[in-house]
Amino acid sequence: METIILFAPLIGAIIGGFGWKIIGETGAQWLTTGLLFLSCFLSWIFFLTHDGVTETIHLMTWIQSGTLDASWAIRMDRLTAIMLIVITTVSALVHLYSFGYMAHDENFGEAKYKARFFAYLSLFTFTMLMLVTADNLVQLFFGWEGVGLASYLLIGFYYRKPSANAAAIKAFVVNRVGDVGLALAMMALFFLTDSIKFDDIFAAAPALAETELSFLWTNWNAANLIAFLLFVGAMGKSAQLFLHTWLPDAMEGPTPVSALIHAATMVTAGVFLICRMSPLMEFAPETQTFIVFMGASTAFVAATIGLVQNDIKRVIAYSTMSQLGYMFVAAGLGVYSVAMFHLLTHAFFKAMLFLGAGSVIHGMHHEQDMRNYGGLRKKLPMTFYAMLIGTLAITGVGIPLTHIGFAGFLSKDAVIESAFAGTNGGYAFWMLVIAALFTSFYSWRLMFLTFWGKARGDKHTHDHAHESPKVMLVPLGVLAIGAVFSGMVWYGSFFGDHDKVNSFFGITHVAAADDHGAMEVEDHGDAATQEGTAIAEEHDGDEAVVADHGPAQVPGQGAIYIGADNHVMDDAHHVPTWVKVSPFLAMLIGFFTAYMFYIVNPSLPKRLAEVQRPLYLFLLNKWYFDEIYDFIFVRPTMAVGHFLWKRGDGNVIDGGINGVALGILPFLTRLSGRMQTGYVFTYVFAMVIGITVILTYVTLSGGYN
Amino acid sequence: MISSDIQTVLPEISLAVFAMLALLAGVYNGKDKTAPMMVWLTSGMFVLLAAWIGYGGEGTTTAFGGMFVNDGFARFAKVTILLSAAAVLLMSQDYMTKLGLLRFEYPLLVALSVVGMMFMVSAGDLMALYMGLELQSLALYVVASLRRDSVKSTEAGLKYFVLGALSSGLLLYGASLTYGFAGTTLFSGIIAAADGGVSLGMLFGVVFMLAGLAFKVSAAPFHMWTPDVYEGSPTPVTAFFATAPKVAAMAMFARVVHDAFGGIVGEWQQIIAFLSVLSMFLGAIAAIGQTNIKRLMAYSSIAHMGFALMGLAAGTAFGVQAMLIYMAIYVTMNIGTFAFILSMERDGRPVTNIASLNQYAKTEPLKALAVLLLMFSLAGVPPLVGFFGKFYVLRAAYDAGLAWLAVAGVVASVIGAFYYLRIVFYMYFGAEQDDPLDRGMPPVLWGFLVVTAAMMLVGIVNLFGIEPLAQAAAATLVN
Amino acid sequence: MIGLEHYLTVAAALFVIGIFGLFLNRKNVIILLMSIELMLLAVNINLVAFSSFLGDLVGQVFTLFVLTVAAAEAAIGLAILVCFFRTRGTIDVEDVNVMKG
Repeated sequence: METIILFAPLIGAIIGGFGWKIIGETGAQWLTTGLLFLSCFLSWIFFLTHDGVTETIHLMTWIQSGTLDASWAIRMDRLTAIMLIVITTVSALVHLYSFGYMAHDENFGEAKYKARFFAYLSLFTFTMLMLVTADNLVQLFFGWEGVGLASYLLIGFYYRKPSANAAAIKAFVVNRVGDVGLALAMMALFFLTDSIKFDDIFAAAPALAETELSFLWTNWNAANLIAFLLFVGAMGKSAQLFLHTWLPDAMEGPTPVSALIHAATMVTAGVFLICRMSPLMEFAPETQTFIVFMGASTAFVAATIGLVQNDIKRVIAYSTMSQLGYMFVAAGLGVYSVAMFHLLTHAFFKAMLFLGAGSVIHGMHHEQDMRNYGGLRKKLPMTFYAMLIGTLAITGVGIPLTHIGFAGFLSKDAVIESAFAGTNGGYAFWMLVIAALFTSFYSWRLMFLTFWGKARGDKHTHDHAHESPKVMLVPLGVLAIGAVFSGMVWYGSFFGDHDKVNSFFGITHVAAADDHGAMEVEDHGDAATQEGTAIAEEHDGDEAVVADHGPAQVPGQGAIYIGADNHVMDDAHHVPTWVKVSPFLAMLIGFFTAYMFYIVNPSLPKRLAEVQRPLYLFLLNKWYFDEIYDFIFVRPTMAVGHFLWKRGDGNVIDGGINGVALGILPFLTRLSGRMQTGYVFTYVFAMVIGITVILTYVTLSGGYN
Repeated sequence: MISSDIQTVLPEISLAVFAMLALLAGVYNGKDKTAPMMVWLTSGMFVLLAAWIGYGGEGTTTAFGGMFVNDGFARFAKVTILLSAAAVLLMSQDYMTKLGLLRFEYPLLVALSVVGMMFMVSAGDLMALYMGLELQSLALYVVASLRRDSVKSTEAGLKYFVLGALSSGLLLYGASLTYGFAGTTLFSGIIAAADGGVSLGMLFGVVFMLAGLAFKVSAAPFHMWTPDVYEGSPTPVTAFFATAPKVAAMAMFARVVHDAFGGIVGEWQQIIAFLSVLSMFLGAIAAIGQTNIKRLMAYSSIAHMGFALMGLAAGTAFGVQAMLIYMAIYVTMNIGTFAFILSMERDGRPVTNIASLNQYAKTEPLKALAVLLLMFSLAGVPPLVGFFGKFYVLRAAYDAGLAWLAVAGVVASVIGAFYYLRIVFYMYFGAEQDDPLDRGMPPVLWGFLVVTAAMMLVGIVNLFGIEPLAQAAAATLVN
Repeated sequence: MIGLEHYLTVAAALFVIGIFGLFLNRKNVIILLMSIELMLLAVNINLVAFSSFLGDLVGQVFTLFVLTVAAAEAAIGLAILVCFFRTRGTIDVEDVNVMKG
């Protein structure tokens, strides 16, 4: 079953990509979509029946060289299961949605493009699945680069648009920076543990924490250094601060792509990586602090930029970046279950927002500027309701102090409470609360600008605005269900009490330190869950662990690892009430501010922008990140490249090769031709010269005794 | 005693007797009508002998007091010689008939030269070596000028004769010095005499002998005859020159340096390396300017001999193995290429101009593809078989500490790739021409072309198993 | 007393004269054939001298072989020369250059 989940998209991609001339464009569309729905269906079955036990399925041997042993293997645990349903569900729905969205495209004229699009989508899905099911770092890296490739292909899908090509290249290049970190981390791990298998690495994690490693100019703690390098990789893929500039530009791709890759799946790969490597992270406290700091900063910065953007997709893109910051805060604090919780819920509501935005764009004839929207509530009713649900979910609407609310309410509050507990009400907590306020503001701003007020912009476009076809609305509906209920359904599993989370993630808990040496298998029967998921069963001996001193859990056992002295999640349940209410209040403030600005007094934002012009421009220009990078990196690099190209390559290398190929060789050829005079005596003379030279050589070199 | 000696040289004797009987029959008949039959008969004889030698021989036997050595190395070389001679003979028939050249002497002369070659590779004595060499050479001088009414053919014969005689003289002079300073003409005696150092006279002898041998393998700077003779001779004869005699000369070269001078590797290693590097570069560079495909193949064979010499320069058993593999591959490639050249005709008349190949792929896609494979293989493009030949000799040179030679070989093969690829370029992307080559092709040539081209691809699996055979052959020579 | 070295010197001188005859002569192909004969004879002197000096008959046997082969070689050479003369109408060495480059 796992194999089918994994390879159905690949088969779809291959047949759809190479064989569409045989099966036809429509055939390719149906095939890829059908296979993904199959994959999705099986994923859900797997998720719902999974008992938390880690199992590895060996597919084939890949690289075997010395001690380097990388195989194609599927590692199935709770973490994988969560990613599987996220990926396959969103991907399947996006495939379906694309039937409508990609039906007509003036970018390609007569050229066929649909089969290519669907094949790319399926290819992406396959590589993403490869990434999350990897059981060693090399396979993970394969998936990691595979999604990068698919992302490149899809961002640059409108290859006739220069801006799309530029964005694709930017995404690729910026991601390379992060990949260097990941590659270095892989090498360091192989260097230190002599293996790239997750199991071996996790088992070695406690030892790594004791190891010093010399790198660059000084010694580092090995665990911290590797964890940091891993995080650098994650930063690139998940668009964290300083490596985030590609994500907004990636909106050049078709909207379904944005929903699938740049909201729900690929960008969360970084979070997944940190959670996957949790046994290592737990031994790298300094890096964890750094991750929390970066996550919180990203959440804040992205939210501020999102306040003033006018392109509907860019607003959502910055919102994505901000939400990724939330996830990293949770991961950095060691509450990996919460990070995954937010990842799951975010995938539903953010994919829905994107698809909703796509529906609006589709209805408005590819107009993306929100200033040209307005009053679309009547014209696009279904889209409006979907977007409304998405907005309620992302802003975190729910009943405070209960577990009833939209998906974002539960997961975001869990993150914020953890942030308070983990940092004692420090930087990260406040940043996240402020970001929540901003989130609420820009989300509602988007809604108000789009669906309320008077129609602005081109009258003709508004007159012809139309609701999207059913094939686009159905995925919205499905995702809406997820956006509403996913938080409430799985709250207990991700952020409930200890035992429930442990059983969900397959963590075998060793009761107490004085029990060491004993074989302890936790009876999961008690932990039967009200959701009917994660049906726990009694496992046999392979789950049993021999507990040594100290750690409550052996690293590498279970999907995530919680350090012995990591009590953030428990503490998070006992934070003061004002902390629990604070995100809700922030949400309300944001909502009312947006209401004041865009419904009650629409001239207010303009006046504010004029009064605070420097600040406005600062935000509008995205903190000038692109400009600074352009100045620091791009231009000097271009200058060096230009120099090497013109002077180094053009003059020296080309000149050298051309000189040899066009100057010296023809000269020698002519010379040898002239030597071949056709006269016998010349030939004899050459032979005599030859024998004389050889005789002289052997005589002078003293070859004889 | 004598009967066992006869037993050992029975294949050679059979072929010689066959040739003389056939000569008698031809003379009494006085007609060239029997010539086609004779061609097939001689080819069949070659194949039979190849089978006899290939399957019959075991171990090492010597005859006539060590003058004649029948060992694994000789058998490997003989089988290669016989098979390639048979192939070339079969390919000749259509061409020769068309030009009215198919006289009954032709197969006989080829047979006699093959007898000479067989003696060359089995020689265990300077006299046997000289006699084999002369038997081969004299026959070849005649076939080179087989087309008596052509200026080019007779000039080729004349040049080949004068220069060949000079090289024989050099070789002989070296042999006389070697004999004088070693006190014997037997290789086994020479190697014993040279054990632990050589006198200056002996060294001169070695140099003169190497020069004479280098002429036979057409290694630079003793190569000058090759382009002219290749161009002037009738194309089937050129095909023959490019195959069997090259193998024989190379095998004899290996025989001399290892059997007679195996104890003084250091003395000749540098000389052969020098010949090798000069041949590779000269062959590659001079071929670029050629417009005649036969001349081009001449320079190509000079370059290839440079590579084969690289294996010899290593002075190791692996080097000899690499050389044998290289020669076997080289012969296969050349048979295919010449099968194609023999079929190049316009309005029924043979052409050898490279430019006539323009746009050939349009009219004859399959043949063009076969030629493409052969050219790529000759250039040593991986993964075709030709690449493996180069790979072996480069490795042999590198293992023997001649890294500079290996590097030079790589550079030379890059330069050399140019002219092979130029032929491919003409066939596929050349200028339009309104006077294309004739389409038909005799079935024999077509078969050889397609089969050898396919071998370039299929052979990458295991090189048809010649690797262990060559290894065993080399082991009997170098110990 | 005439020793081995004298014979060797004579032989070497003859050999070199033969070679020079090959590439200094630009007139007649017949002279080429004569030069080749000269070289072979130099070799024969070498062989006989060595044979006598070493008290070994092999060298003289070798000489006989060389003489025989030289005769055959001369015959073939002259035959080719005749063919060449028929087609080209000249036997000047300088005219043997139809093919070059």
